[in-house]
Amino acid sequence: MTSSPQSPQGKSSDKPQRTVAEWTTFGIASGILGAIAGLVIYAWATEDARPPVVEVQPSPEIREAKGKFYVPFTVSNTGGETVESVQVIAELRVNGQIEESGDQHIDFLSDGETQEGAFIFRRDPRQGNLTVRVASYKLP
Amino acid sequence: MGLAKQWRTELSDLLRGASGGFLFGIPLLYTMEVWWIGSYIGPIRMLLALVLMFGFIFFLNQTAGFRRTSDSRTASALIDSVEAIAIGIVCTGLVLALLQEITLQTPLHEVLGKLIYEGVPFSLGVALANQFLKGDEDPVEETVPPVSKSQSLNATLSDISATLIGATIIAFNIAPTDEIPMLASAASAGWLLLIMAASLLISYCIVFASGFTNYQQRRQQKGIFQRPLSETIASYLVSLIAAMVMLFFFQKLEFGDPWQVWLSYTILLGLPAAVGGSAGRLAI
Repeated sequence: MTSSPQSPQGKSSDKPQRTVAEWTTFGIASGILGAIAGLVIYAWATEDARPPVVEVQPSPEIREAKGKFYVPFTVSNTGGETVESVQVIAELRVNGQIEESGDQHIDFLSDGETQEGAFIFRRDPRQGNLTVRVASYKLP
Repeated sequence: MGLAKQWRTELSDLLRGASGGFLFGIPLLYTMEVWWIGSYIGPIRMLLALVLMFGFIFFLNQTAGFRRTSDSRTASALIDSVEAIAIGIVCTGLVLALLQEITLQTPLHEVLGKLIYEGVPFSLGVALANQFLKGDEDPVEETVPPVSKSQSLNATLSDISATLIGATIIAFNIAPTDEIPMLASAASAGWLLLIMAASLLISYCIVFASGFTNYQQRRQQKGIFQRPLSETIASYLVSLIAAMVMLFFFQKLEFGDPWQVWLSYTILLGLPAAVGGSAGRLAI
């Protein structure tokens, strides 16, 4: 980040010289700061300007507990940009009619990030036609 | 100066800086809006934040700083600024990892965003460390006069009240917010134990290891808070009680809630409360 200043030796020696310990700490500190700055520049260089691609995948493993059916899902962003307020909607159709529905909001989804959740139904989703989709998001 | 003494002085300087950082930065470490900003901020803004932070901390280091020997020459202020930011970023990273806001699954740019945006207030605290609680000059060994029983009781009471006041000042800002329930939902037993250990360690460092003001006086302080270890543990318990009362006051905890909720909320708010409590004891 900054070039390390020269040891102010010989000048105004009324102040104590920096000790070995202080120089060691400075070395480690510049290493940390340099690494952070380097990683930010790396993130900048490899920044993905692609628009967000948000997908939701319901799990085939439906869990039943106390007469309710739990359908876990994972929502992931495989695009480049971070999205906010991702709305996931699940609809259970039986004989073409929507019998039950649910929706869920995910606060933030960075590129490459995956979040998990579950929808809960009173009817067995395997008896009908379950659709889980991402309905909307907004850009931060 | 011997090498061992050099390292002791250096460690004490670094801990003093970190303590100042905790005092100033802990409320924002418990603010979800700052985590969110870190999640979506772009790399250019991050670089800008780093540069601005460096400039501001450089100016602070020319007047305040965190080292006992205040050397305001430009070169020294530059070196101290690099160190203040590094202390800020390391401590912020540790606390965010402890709160599980940074995990192994967090994408790189999100980690960087959170580290930098949470690191800013923390590093300001590092650079202001001497200003918060002025360091005493070279400590001298002093003889401890014998104390009577009533003095000992008074000292204990004043320690307890100082811890309560400090804990309340810092944790009152955090108690009514949604961060505590949110963090608690992700914290398992192991994490809670780690948070307890961190609270004790930070509290110990602020009072005893960082050589802040009244250090010698603290050693003379009588009462049940006499030894560093017992003082740290006793004041942590006081901070936990303060945290619990604050959570109850803001109705984040109700009598009907399961005891696990009481426990996890209290331990999570106990960290900022312990930081405040330690500062409170230094102020008396």
